[in-house]
Amino acid sequence: MPVATSRPLLRPPRAEGRTDALTSHLSKALTVKGDLDSDGELHIHGSVLGQVCADSLVVGSSGYLEGDVIARDVRIEGRLAGRIFALNVTLESAAEVTGRIFHNTITVAKGARIDARMPWRPPSYFETLEQLPEVRQ
Amino acid sequence: MSMFNRNEKDPNTGAAVGEKPAEFVPAPVTAAAAAVRPPQPNVQHAPEVAVAKSVGPSVISKALKITGQLESTEDIRIDGEVDGDIHGVSVTVGSGAKVKGSVYGQTVELAGTIEGKIEAKKVILTSTAHMSGDVIHQDIRIESGAYIDGHCRPGTNKVDSKPAPKPN
Repeated sequence: MPVATSRPLLRPPRAEGRTDALTSHLSKALTVKGDLDSDGELHIHGSVLGQVCADSLVVGSSGYLEGDVIARDVRIEGRLAGRIFALNVTLESAAEVTGRIFHNTITVAKGARIDARMPWRPPSYFETLEQLPEVRQ
Repeated sequence: MSMFNRNEKDPNTGAAVGEKPAEFVPAPVTAAAAAVRPPQPNVQHAPEVAVAKSVGPSVISKALKITGQLESTEDIRIDGEVDGDIHGVSVTVGSGAKVKGSVYGQTVELAGTIEGKIEAKKVILTSTAHMSGDVIHQDIRIESGAYIDGHCRPGTNKVDSKPAPKPN
């Protein structure tokens, strides 16, 4: 029912493109317990427990993320436990991912530890995503 | 004759043929690379930045809104919006930034808005600061133009309880 009023989780790309002013860095020493919502770039090198919405997300090699991710581009060099909803997903060789990876394109480097299902979805699925599906096995 | 002619021509054509594959070989590679590339540029520019910034202060940009608690043993700079408590060493709230919650640290510098509490050893309220709530401090500087709605009181600081060195 609330679908009509809620906006898509994934924002349209910014017209002015990516600038440093919109880039957030969460350092190794930082722990966030809560939700992050950005229409810019986000680099996580510390730990985050919560839902993350961003235009572009990078989880660095020391980063740990527990929760769901909604983003246009996702690059994982560290650890992630949760679900990814992203058009472009890159899993680097040091990545450790458990959960589900909803993607349109995906790259997995040799060495990455993936314990996840990787359902493919058309771009329109991500553009119109307003509510995350329930976690159900 | 015709054989010789052929033999004379063959090396040329052979060379031409030999060159062509050399030209053709890289072509599929670039084509393949181009086919693979499109998803990458979006993500490609990230690594240098990621590597360069894995240490150092955390920056919450103006595009980011955090609902929840932040805890860091290093410096934090906030230019965006935080709905929750912040624990850091040196916390800078930039102009345009908005924090709803308590801010704890050794040093807190405010140029934006805080609705909540500041508890820090050293507090700086710049001219653009908008502080709604109490400030518990050991050392405070308030610039002209800063807005404060709340109590400023020197606190028994639990962040660092060692007494200030006495001047002899």
